[in-house]
Amino acid sequence: MDTQFFVSLAIILASFALYIGIAVFNRARRTSDFYVASRGVPPVWNGMAIAGDWMSAASFIGMAGTVMILGYDGLAYIMGWTGGYLLLTFLLAPQLRKYGRYTVPEFIGDRFESHTARVIAAVGTMVVSFVYIIGQLSGSGVVIGRLFEIETVIGTMIGVVVIAVYATFGGMRGITWTQVAQYLVLITAYLIPIIFMSLQITNNPLPWMTYGEIVSKLGELDAELGLTQYFAPFQTGTKGQFLALMFCLMAGTAALPHVIVRFYTVSTMKAARWSGAWALVFIGLLYLSAPAYAAFSRFILMTQVAGQPLDSLPAWTQAWINTGQLQLADQNGDGILQWQEIVISNDIVVMATPEIANLGVFVIGLVAAGAMAAALSTAGGLLIAISSSFAHDIYSRLINPQASDKKKLLVARITIALATVVAGVVALNPPGVITQIVAWAFSLAAGTFFPVLFLGVWWKRANAKGAIAGMLTGLGVTLGYILLSTNFDFSLFGIQDTGAGVFGLPISLLVTYLVSILTAPPSQKVQDEVVDLRYPEQMSYKDGEVWMKEPGR
Amino acid sequence: MKKVDKQVAEAYFRKRVRLMIGYLIVWALVSFGVVALAEPLSGFTFNGMPFHYFMGAQGSILTFIVLLFVNAVVTDRIDKEFGIDEKANEGLHTGKPLDH
Repeated sequence: MDTQFFVSLAIILASFALYIGIAVFNRARRTSDFYVASRGVPPVWNGMAIAGDWMSAASFIGMAGTVMILGYDGLAYIMGWTGGYLLLTFLLAPQLRKYGRYTVPEFIGDRFESHTARVIAAVGTMVVSFVYIIGQLSGSGVVIGRLFEIETVIGTMIGVVVIAVYATFGGMRGITWTQVAQYLVLITAYLIPIIFMSLQITNNPLPWMTYGEIVSKLGELDAELGLTQYFAPFQTGTKGQFLALMFCLMAGTAALPHVIVRFYTVSTMKAARWSGAWALVFIGLLYLSAPAYAAFSRFILMTQVAGQPLDSLPAWTQAWINTGQLQLADQNGDGILQWQEIVISNDIVVMATPEIANLGVFVIGLVAAGAMAAALSTAGGLLIAISSSFAHDIYSRLINPQASDKKKLLVARITIALATVVAGVVALNPPGVITQIVAWAFSLAAGTFFPVLFLGVWWKRANAKGAIAGMLTGLGVTLGYILLSTNFDFSLFGIQDTGAGVFGLPISLLVTYLVSILTAPPSQKVQDEVVDLRYPEQMSYKDGEVWMKEPGR
Repeated sequence: MKKVDKQVAEAYFRKRVRLMIGYLIVWALVSFGVVALAEPLSGFTFNGMPFHYFMGAQGSILTFIVLLFVNAVVTDRIDKEFGIDEKANEGLHTGKPLDH
């Protein structure tokens, strides 16, 4: 128990107190508060909440490390996770906002007038969100475990309890403002270390302007050591895999139910467009910084740690060696640590670099608090998606349509508590690496939801049979490819399990189209509603004519 | 309620879709296009790093952000041009949960 421990503990507890305080202050009182924060969140704040909701343990803890280890190939994550916002903001969010439902399964169920489609979408939402949340919970376990010097398992349990408390009591309105606070904590925690590192290495406080030279220097250092240059493309996978992964991350971003639902919390289509734009600014701040983080970390490791005698390594190395995430072995027995002898896990790069760069106890504690904020905020949003799929789309639409608001809210809260506990149990022994699990969630969302949402919004002729067939084949093909690829080493065109959606999505799109045109068209009412989505709220499409509501009437 | 001329309504939609297709072409070029041409583009440098790396780490993201803001501003302008009043839009949906 040293100073570092107490400082980190104090910062984390203070940030937790802040989130819980906000959640309690904004307690949900009505159903519409719980799911969509009464639809009155201003775009800039909603953009910030989307950014907090969006940036998970994978973005905060994993991404810089992934770029550091994969070099150029890691940039597929950076481009994929930002470019998806264009698909979302252009093709889906404003239209879904005008349709005006609470959840994605509700849109699908009502748009296709089919309870079967509703249930498939609800189950699909639960599957995607559940896969995603496992990564968040085990991420929070790693941080808490490392920090409190307790086992990861107990760390995960603490994380589960905190998440369950605020997601259960706050609902979407509490979550909106909690996520804003979490965004501010996580972005501060991310930027401070790279600004200091930039000052240390290049005497310039703007990392985005300076790290380019470091990237080029890393290439030179690699060339001297006889390694492939850091920025050389397609060294860890094929070009096809890079493109497929990027495609899945983009389409998955557009179709992730817990992200779409954040666009329901604004008042209009215009506000949805602006929310998307602001969201990408706030997200971009971290994503533009991750490659800088990666470059500085690698540069410091290559120039200040590598080349040192093994018996005079700084104190930080021991703690990480004990976690098993860092290995320093003097393979050639010359007593000096070479770069090739350092084996570092990509999940600890962001957490360990401030220590490596000697940035002081406060910064190190702040980074831990930021990592927790990232894991908690995303887990909160995912839990809302899971609970609303069950409580709203299955329970109150199918099982007990007469349920009172109070009863529905109770069911939603019980679902959150149950889902957290079950996901927590799975997270104790996660089925894969965190970034890999998260990429599966994106591929599944891309294959299952993107085609049906896209055609549902833009093509009035899409019908229930097409949607059902499309969702089932999309989910089946994507899941099947992931399972075949991970268990039997199966691959087509050099594409790995993480890019599975590149097969699921087009097949699902084609199936939805073919089944729709081969079966009866949807009702005139639904077709009119779809045409209506082309126009802003004030204009409405009825009986083949467009009508404009005049202000004040 | 005032009836909107069919051609005006269609013009509104067509204008927006055309612009959107344009944005998506740029989107595809700066991401998929640049990745597909990564090897030849690595020949020259920008902001201190090889160009293909710059596009992946900075150029594409900045382009995406610009596209989203251009879309938001231009769509607002089109709305205005067609007489849409955002205040009226807000009045139609704010705080009004859907009843079923």
